[in-house]
Amino acid sequence: MCGIIATVGRSDTLDVLMNGLSMLDYRGYDSAGVALGGGGDRVEVVKRAGKLENLRAALDGEGAPEGAVGVAHTRWSTHGPPTDENAHPHTDPEGRVAVVHNGIIENYQRLRDDLEAAGQEFASDTDTEVVPHLIAAALDRGEPVEQAVRQAVDAIEGSYALCIAVAGDDRLYGARNDSPLVLGIDDGAYYLASDVPAFRKHTDQVAFLEEGEFVTVSPDGYTVTDGAGEPVEKPHHTVEWDPEEAGKAGYDHFMLKEIHEQPRSLRQCLQGRVDELSGSVELEELEGLERPEQLHLVAAGTSYHAAVYAATLLRSAGVPAQAFYAHEYAATTPPVEDALVVGVTQSGETADTLGALRAARRRGATTLACTNTVGSTAARECDHTLYIHAGPEIGVAATKTFASQLVALSLFSLWLDDGDAREQIAALRDLPGQVQAVLDDSRAREIAETYHGSDAYFFIGRGLNYPVALEGALKFKEITYEHAEGFAAGELKHGPLALVTENTPVFAVVTGDGEQARKTVGNVKEVEARDAPVVAVTDGASDAARYADHVLEIPETDPRTGAVLANVQLQLVAYHAADLLGRPIDKPRNLAKSVTVE
Amino acid sequence: MSITSAVVLAAGEGTRLRPLTRNRPKPMLPAGNRPILEYVCDALVEAGIERLVVVVGYKRDRVQDGLGHSYRDVPVEYVVQEKQLGSGHALLQAREAVAGPVVVVNGDRVIEASTVRATLAAYHEECAASLAVVANEDAGRYGAVELHDGRITELVEKPANDDYRLINGGVYAFGGSVFEELAATPRTDGSLPLTDTVARLIDDGEVRGARVDGTWADATYPWDLLTVAREVLGDGMVSGVQRHPGEWVAESATVHEDATLVAPAVVGPDCEVGAGAVVGPYVALGRNATVEANATVQTSVVDADTRVGAGSVLVDAVTGQNVRVGAGAVVPGGPGDVVVGDQVFPDQRLGAVVADRARLGGGSRCDPGTLVGTGARVGTGVVASGHVAEGAEVVR
Repeated sequence: MCGIIATVGRSDTLDVLMNGLSMLDYRGYDSAGVALGGGGDRVEVVKRAGKLENLRAALDGEGAPEGAVGVAHTRWSTHGPPTDENAHPHTDPEGRVAVVHNGIIENYQRLRDDLEAAGQEFASDTDTEVVPHLIAAALDRGEPVEQAVRQAVDAIEGSYALCIAVAGDDRLYGARNDSPLVLGIDDGAYYLASDVPAFRKHTDQVAFLEEGEFVTVSPDGYTVTDGAGEPVEKPHHTVEWDPEEAGKAGYDHFMLKEIHEQPRSLRQCLQGRVDELSGSVELEELEGLERPEQLHLVAAGTSYHAAVYAATLLRSAGVPAQAFYAHEYAATTPPVEDALVVGVTQSGETADTLGALRAARRRGATTLACTNTVGSTAARECDHTLYIHAGPEIGVAATKTFASQLVALSLFSLWLDDGDAREQIAALRDLPGQVQAVLDDSRAREIAETYHGSDAYFFIGRGLNYPVALEGALKFKEITYEHAEGFAAGELKHGPLALVTENTPVFAVVTGDGEQARKTVGNVKEVEARDAPVVAVTDGASDAARYADHVLEIPETDPRTGAVLANVQLQLVAYHAADLLGRPIDKPRNLAKSVTVE
Repeated sequence: MSITSAVVLAAGEGTRLRPLTRNRPKPMLPAGNRPILEYVCDALVEAGIERLVVVVGYKRDRVQDGLGHSYRDVPVEYVVQEKQLGSGHALLQAREAVAGPVVVVNGDRVIEASTVRATLAAYHEECAASLAVVANEDAGRYGAVELHDGRITELVEKPANDDYRLINGGVYAFGGSVFEELAATPRTDGSLPLTDTVARLIDDGEVRGARVDGTWADATYPWDLLTVAREVLGDGMVSGVQRHPGEWVAESATVHEDATLVAPAVVGPDCEVGAGAVVGPYVALGRNATVEANATVQTSVVDADTRVGAGSVLVDAVTGQNVRVGAGAVVPGGPGDVVVGDQVFPDQRLGAVVADRARLGGGSRCDPGTLVGTGARVGTGVVASGHVAEGAEVVR
């Protein structure tokens, strides 16, 4: 769960690396470093624990290294604590080889034992450091550079994206296995990175490396070979989105910017897919997918809540559907039989979800990725892909991508059901404007101020609003560090009610005036009776507001879109509560955006 | 030297345009079916500006959401004017963000690239500033100017007499010293209009004027948005695929084969127009607007996400965003008297202004000149007139 950027062929190598790191630091941020090589007999390395600013200060202090080949890394610890030594890049003792690595080398202990037995000394506790040592050992044996790198890559097992620079060599080397690595192609300059934003400023031409592929890049061109050493032709893709979208556009935090972007991202999700006049939903990319008998949705974190929403929606339409935590699904995979297995993952790189999808595929299931990222591992490995078209999301706490997941999965449920969907489509088309209405008029800041300093925060909902309650609590705990839990409203009286006091506000999500709403209002009364303050998130159709101390209003609409609107209110509550506490909202402690380790 | 940075002033609400400015500032109101501010930025980008600094204040999230971090590949930065103390004060907020000579424009008026280019061409390093000069019959609403041999000799704000035909177009090029001049300009009641500083520059140095005749459109009152739409449609300053002369339809829009478009008309992205509907002439449908079957929309601006119900009629109407016009509702059109505060504007050609998220119930009617406030509801079959307050509900 780290970020890599590497480049060759630029005269301003260091600037390119530093800019790339700043674009990637959402992937992890407990240390960062750069290494520049090309000429000379040593690569120059500068690395620091802590935020990117620490590295920047060190570079200012030590004088900027120069070189035509550069590799850089921002790290989120898996092996060894975040220290200067453990930061990447790692080198061999002579400083001839610099390596940055994303992933886990499973056989590193054995390799390290062998190297230490042969007299090599290690500087860090990391698994990565075996790689430069292996390469240096091969160079000492007289192997040509490319051969030496290749042998080292062949020797390691596990998941990795690697970028390697060697002193006195004007080429850059990269290898990928189970961790993302993308090649950026420009005139006379090339980039390797774990994600496109790292170099999008310089080029929009990319090629995605596949599992087991190895790339050698020089200023004059690149060659990709597969695991057997056979050359591979790589198709080039054009990335359409704008690098500047990664900027905050005047907002204090990416999260707030992304919350406000939701009307636009939802429009993108709907564009070209719905036709209210004919009541039809068209999902071009699903052409050829047969209507499944049953569905398993696998996901983790926020995406899991979207999966619960989708499963609820599908079940209410009579389609057997279940949501699973991806890691549990991989551990104990149920019989897949004729199920379509849908992996919901924003990044398309979530290791747990990829694992679940692979487990399903091994049992013969058809798989579908619901993702935001074109060319991601999930998109490439699954039989079908449903894109949510939310645009890049930088804040670690998912907001707009969750809303777009709900809408994309809602479209998917309508697509599965051949009936006339005019009313539902009208509700979906009304949604962007209604989200704007919530953004314009929300009283979330006031609510956050009122309940600042409470003992804990509980969120309840039923049916489609149950995943909204779960997500409301997850968002709250992620960025405020306060205790927050989401419960199915009906489950409250079976245990959690014991936690409820006059100092634990309960956010109740109630939409519509049907039986579910009436029952949730009943649960609200149970809470009121324990003197807990209640914040109703409601469209006013039921009498929930009457039993609530505060109300967060949403426009009255179809239940499927009401869930999206209620979630926007809860996003804002979490944001403002975290802001009042002075939390680092875009980069909460211990968390990373894209969880690429299991 | 060439000027490559521009400051766009987009912090003020535009209070005379209420109730349409309840949720967004004037630069984000529609000229046709795109925000005025986009026209301003288009003109700047097409004139070669490489960096935009936007001064934001009132409802700034709407400006930031609208332009984002870059506009047509030109980076956009924001500076905040916390209190709206005049256009000069607004520009002063950009002091740290720009260096050297700079273009300054009002973000709330439609302009063309040629106007920016002419203003840049008129500027030279020895003069203090240049500004665009526009012929306008309503000089009394604006800053009138006297222009002699390319030099501005006089600037009079809202002159009382009719002697003036030329106005300050609100497009300037300033030398880097403008910020010192702004800081040195005495404030009037705590406020600092940019024109006070320009007047000082006219007195103390040389201010060049560039006479321009490109499209220049401004809205002072809500019904002026109809005139602005007429200008941009008439001048073809509209995006979308032109199906027939004067009929622009966005690629992502759906128009039923049995619907009729009457030129000029523009149908925005994601719009749907149902069977038997008649849209035009001089109609702009904003993004994701819906015109249901057999509705008729004429000389109207229908803003984003608005739904015009089956069989309804809108003539000379301006709607905000996310408005619901019920089936069979009728806005029969002007002229009518419009009352704004304690002022009466007689015989304005205005059917109705229906602000964001207001609802006209099925079969309701708006008398000419009706202003319906944000979120107000006009009940089924009700006849509304005058001013319906924000959030009010009118029942039979």
